[in-house]
This record gives sequence, C-alpha cells and structure tokens, in this order.
Amino acid sequence: MQHSLREDYLEAICFFMEKNGRFPRQEELAAALGRQADEVPAILADLINEGEVTMSPGGLVELTPHGKITGERIVKKHATLQCFLSEMLGMDQAAASSEACTLEHTVSDETIDRLGDYLKQPITNCPGRHRFGHPCVNTQFSLLDFNEGDELIVCGILGRSSAKRLLDLGVVPGQRVKIRRKLGSRSIVVEVKGCDVALSPEIAAAVSVERGP
Amino acid sequence: MKIALLGNPGAGKSLIFNQLTGLGVEVNRYPGSSITIESGSVCCQKEITELIDLPGIYSLDGNSEEEILVRQFLEAGKADIIVMVLDATRLERNLYLLTQVAEFPCRMIAVVNMIDAAERQGLTIDAEILSARLGIPVILTAASEGRGINRILPLAKESAQVSGLIIPYDIHIEAALKSLEKTLSTPRYRNLLALQGTGDDPTLTDAAAAIAQEIEQRHMMSVRQIIATNRHNFARQIASETIRQGDRKKTYDLDQILTRVIPGLPILCAILFLLLLSVFLIGSWMESWIVDLFNIYILNPFTALGLPPLEDKIGFSVLVALQAGFGIAFPFVFTFYIGLSLLEDTGYMTRAAFLADRAMHRLGLHGEAIIPMVIGFGCTVPAIMSLRILKTRREQTIAAFLITMVPCSARTVVIAGIVAAFVGIIWAFSIYLIIFVLLILTAIMLSRVTPGEQFGMIVEMSPLRQPKAGLVLAKSWLRIKEFLFIAMPLLIITSIALGLFQFFGLTTVFEKMVAPITVTLLGLPDYASTALVFGIFRKELAFETLAVLAGSANLGSVMTATQLYVFALVSVLFVPCISTIAVLYRQLGAKIALLISVYTVFLGIFIGAIINILIK
Repeated sequence: MQHSLREDYLEAICFFMEKNGRFPRQEELAAALGRQADEVPAILADLINEGEVTMSPGGLVELTPHGKITGERIVKKHATLQCFLSEMLGMDQAAASSEACTLEHTVSDETIDRLGDYLKQPITNCPGRHRFGHPCVNTQFSLLDFNEGDELIVCGILGRSSAKRLLDLGVVPGQRVKIRRKLGSRSIVVEVKGCDVALSPEIAAAVSVERGP
Repeated sequence: MKIALLGNPGAGKSLIFNQLTGLGVEVNRYPGSSITIESGSVCCQKEITELIDLPGIYSLDGNSEEEILVRQFLEAGKADIIVMVLDATRLERNLYLLTQVAEFPCRMIAVVNMIDAAERQGLTIDAEILSARLGIPVILTAASEGRGINRILPLAKESAQVSGLIIPYDIHIEAALKSLEKTLSTPRYRNLLALQGTGDDPTLTDAAAAIAQEIEQRHMMSVRQIIATNRHNFARQIASETIRQGDRKKTYDLDQILTRVIPGLPILCAILFLLLLSVFLIGSWMESWIVDLFNIYILNPFTALGLPPLEDKIGFSVLVALQAGFGIAFPFVFTFYIGLSLLEDTGYMTRAAFLADRAMHRLGLHGEAIIPMVIGFGCTVPAIMSLRILKTRREQTIAAFLITMVPCSARTVVIAGIVAAFVGIIWAFSIYLIIFVLLILTAIMLSRVTPGEQFGMIVEMSPLRQPKAGLVLAKSWLRIKEFLFIAMPLLIITSIALGLFQFFGLTTVFEKMVAPITVTLLGLPDYASTALVFGIFRKELAFETLAVLAGSANLGSVMTATQLYVFALVSVLFVPCISTIAVLYRQLGAKIALLISVYTVFLGIFIGAIINILIK
C-alpha cells in the first residue's frame, strides 16, 4: 500500500477523534477523506493487517496504540507546516493547508521538530521574520526592555489602534530606531528617521522590537 | 488665486508665511473648529494672491482636529495650489506626508526648506531627482536666511502640477483599491481613506470595512499599519535616491544636559520660575503705567463731562472694562506670550513635556499636558484653548479642572496686592502652596472618577533652534489678538451689567443675601461679597473693588490679616473668570463648564471657611 495513503487514513482518524471525541464509522471516514465509500474497506483491511487499526464490534474504526502514535505525528506535522506556510510565509490558510497535506508525508521528524522550535522561540536575529506580524506578537520584547544607545528594529505595534501618531512618525514594522534617552521613570526618547520622539512608558511598552543586526 | 502652505509641524511654514505676507495677516476661525488659520494677501506677478497657512500636521488620514481640517480643505479643493513645505534635515519623514498629499488631485509644488541646516549637517539634496521622482517642481530654500523665498510663489503659479504619484501598496491593499474603484467608481485616495475607516459615504466605508477586516486577518496587522509602512518605505526609497550624506560636523548635543533628570529637571524649574517672575515684574511695572495713563487721559476727562447719572454709569463701566482689559492684556498676558513663544521656538517646550511626563502621569495626564499648564500661569483662556493637543476627552477634562486652578497672572496680582503687601511675603507663598496641594488632590480624585481611556505621550522633539525675534513677536501678537477678541466683549458686557447692578442699588440686597456665607462662614466684612463677584469678571478686580468698597487703599487698616488672607485665598480659588467660563463652554461643552464653576465655588468657600476657623 502507498505510504502516503496510509498516513492520510491514520491522520483522518486522529483528526476525527479530536473533533468528535469518538472514532469514525467507515462511511464517516470516507467522507472526511473525501473518497468513495467503496474504496475504504480494502485499505482498512491492509491497515488492520499491519496492526494500525482494529474494527470495533460497533462498526467503529479504532486506532491501535501504534496507529495512534503514527497518526498523531502526522497531525503535528500538518499543523506545524501549515503554521509556517501561513504565518511566516504569508500564504492563504486554505492553500497552506493543502500544501501541508502534500509535504507532511515526505518531511522528516527532525525537520518538523526543528521547525516547531523555530516557530516557538522568541525573535532573535532574523529581519524579515516579522513580515507578517504574528510571530512577533508572541515575543515579549518592547522598547522598555532595552537601554540607552541600543539600536533596534521595530517588529510591530501591539494593541493600541489609537497610536496612529506613532505610525505617522515612522515607527512602523521594519524601521530602525535608536534609544536616545531613557529616564528612571521609563519615559524614553527614540530616534526614528533622524528625528527624536519622546514616548510615555505605556506607549513604549506597546512597541515590540528586536535588536538590530 | 489661493495658495495654501502645508507641511509637518516645525518645517518652517510659519516663517515662510511671515516672510511672504509681512503685515496684513488675517486670523480666521475655521468653521466648526477651534483652530485658527492665518491668511494674508500677497501681490505676485501683478495679481493678488491669497496665501493660507494651514496647521502643521504629520498625516492626512488621522482624526485629530487639525488633520480633519486639512483633509476637508484638500477634498473641497479650497486652494488652487498647494505648496508643500518640507524640512530638509528630516526629509524622509516629511516625504511621508507628501506621499499622502500627492494622492489628492491637487496642483502642488514642494519646497525643501532649512537647506542651510541640512548643509551644516553635511547633507546634499538633489532637487532635480526629487522633482523627477515626485512629478512636481521642487525648490530648495532657507527661510531663516531668506534664501530662495522669492521664487516660491512664481514657481507655484507657473509650474505647479498634479503629482500623479503612485505608491506601490501591498498586493492585497492594491486589490482592495481596485475592486472598490471598479464597484463604486470612487477615486483612489478616497478608497485608501475608507480602508482606514475614514470617510462620510456609508456605502464606501461599509464596503471598505469588510475588505479591511479580511486583510487584517490575513496579515495579522491593521490596515493602517500596512499602509503607513508602505508609504514610509516608499518615502525612504525616494529619500535615499536624493540625499547624499557628506562629512558631518560634530556639534555639541545640548540634549545631553536638557533631557536628563539631573540637571534637566532643575533647569526646567528654573526656566519656569524665571518666566513667571519676569512676567510678574515687567507686568506690574507696565500695568501701573497703563492704568495711570488711562485715568489721566480718559477716565478723569470722562467724569468731568458731568453726564446724567445713568449714562455716566454705563460709559464709565465701558471705559473701566477697556482699562481692565488693556491693563491685564498687554503687561501680563503679552509679556507672558513673548516668553512662551521664545520657549516654543527654541524647541524647549518638548523637552519640558518629556521631563514632566512622570509627574503628569501621577495627575492622570501625560507629558504634553505641561504645555497648557504653563500657559495657564499666564492666562487661563489660551491655556484652555490649547487643550486640544491632548488626545482624549478624559485628559482634556482633568486638565481643564487643573488649569482653572493654576494661578494666572491676574490672580498673581491679587495675591501680591493683598497678601504680600499687607500680610507678608511668606503668607503669599503659602497661598501658592495651598493651591498646589489642592491641585494635586483634585487631580488624584479626578483621575479616579473621570471616565475614558488614558493615552500616553508621543511627541516629536523639535530640534533646538535659535528663535527669530520677528517670528516670536508675530506669534505673540496673533495670540494677544485672539485673547482680546474673546475677552474684550465679555469684559465690556459684564462691566455694564455690574455697573447697572450697582446703580439700582442691588448690591446691598445681594450683600445681605449672601451675608451668612461671607460674614458668618468666612468672617469677612459684608461688602467683600460684592468684591468677590467682581472677581468673576476679572480676577484682580476683586482686589481693586475691595479697596474702593472698604474706602481705603490701605487695606491693612480696615481688615484684619486673617480677613485679608481668607479673602485672597477665596477669590483666587473661587469661580474662574467670565472669559474662562466662556472658553470652557466653547471647548468642552456646558456640562464641564458648569461643573468646573460649581466645583471651584465650593472649593473656594470650603477652604476659606477652614482657614477662617483654624486661624481664628
């Protein structure tokens, strides 16, 4: 049997289980996979032979412990890839999902683990990573976390939609800024596009930044 | 023909405007807003041209009063030609506004000003490349040296062009713009505004809002952020093509000392103290001159006319109002304005705002609020008018309460004339101390109860510059004109009303009515209530009226020290003057104006009563 087809089945069963809290019937599995109902029994028979699934007396397709491990690994691969494609590369959610469906069968476990770590870690030194905003939202570095003289790159402005003035003064994602002055009260002056801009602490806290290269 | 100057704050628009128009400047209140716009006529190429100085803004698509005003001005096509003034030392940031203006279908030219300052920084700007990239004529000027100024108007008239600049936006924004254009056939610039939630056509804004939401979900970023980023990147591109950085001369950065807590904060206090002291000294010296001249040449001859009593009373009231107006306006308010304009033009006020940010946060405000507060020491009226620099209603409300409590120059006259003169200088300072404590308590209370969102400070620090005497005077002159325009009619009307009040003998009735408060509670002579009421009309009139009613200029001989002290304290705290109430009403509405008046009356009486009981 085709390797990818097997994984698709296991993934679909896992996914169904997660969503509905029970294992699927044969016809439900066929619907979830978008396949003809008459194709399913033959492939299920193969999977039962390999010890990945069992048929319960109630007609439900159940995963064996071994099948569960395989299935969950595929689900994780799919989610990680889709996240990377949509949030880091800016792909459309649906397109990212279908692309992930193809990639998940060939990508190695190590690649997925490393990709997962990469998505989780805070921004360090990678301009362009913030292009689509989202990963930066998870980072905890704001202007207030740095000191006088630090040269930084703006990742985004959190929350405050009213901070329009910041955008007008050039504090936009990708912009280089330099902290010119930071008082004990945490009011700061940043240099943006050759101009000094004074900010209250609560405004500065809303500007997420990373150290410039 | 109408030509409008447009640009960032501090790009040198006002200086260019002043140099082109000279005298003969008109100040008009823009319909439906509290912003004043200067305009003046210039004769250029044998044709009268009207030059308009629009308020300085950073962006066209915001929602501040100034931004809305300029946007409507452009949309309505109220000017034939726009002269975009750019600061050469901050060209990239200034180009951001230009990219927005260029999207409007208006003929324009660009003036790259302050080229002298740019040269000192080693920057060379290629006007030809800039002109080619922007699609409009560009000239380099240095307004402070008068360089290139004469070429502005001829160039604007001869070769202003619609820019036709197309800024490459993010593909999703472009798609949205195209689909809006196709379905509603609205112009690109309006679609852009609509995507950011601005516009008055509901079909357009609704359609745009739906698309904007989709884009925001996809990008995890607001449409405003995306558009602003695209524009800034575009501006950076143009700037990098036109600016060459040569050797930069090392200059000493004064901000090394001005924006640090030490010695910045002591310097700030010293500057403010010196400002107030010199206003007070120069003011009282000039005031006595003006009052004397008025008495000798106008009031005395008028009384000598021997008119029938009623006419005499009315005429006298009008003249006294004029005397009062000029007696306070020129000596105190005008002197203060000169000092203030100096501080503003050097760029120091923005440093003050930065340093004061923390203290102002404790009061429920933020750094920028220091500017209205400082103005309040001169006169409450312009201080309230300047409240619009604060962004939220909450901040404006809190600041309005505090400003009405700040002792303005008229109240300083009362404190000096009554307490310092008859009770003692230390006691005069104690009044300031009491006001200061009450101000902080009021602020703490208000910051708890006032609804609304707190918003922090975002201020561009203006570069430190040497102020131009002409510009400082012109600015102060415009401000004093505005002050007289608001205060004078009110002064005259109230003066007549009070004159009639006295004439028909209503004052004694009134004095009897409020005697329980004045006599029993505050321990003052009964005629003090009339003096206090006169204080509503103009603060230091409380002091002058008291002297008249007491029948002696030597107040120390008719009233006890406690009475004088209580009287001064109450009249300083008591109700803001009539001009303040009027401007509060205009700026913040009837409710706030009423609340502030009632609050200060109660505060004045309450504190006066406590002091009376304590000292007695």
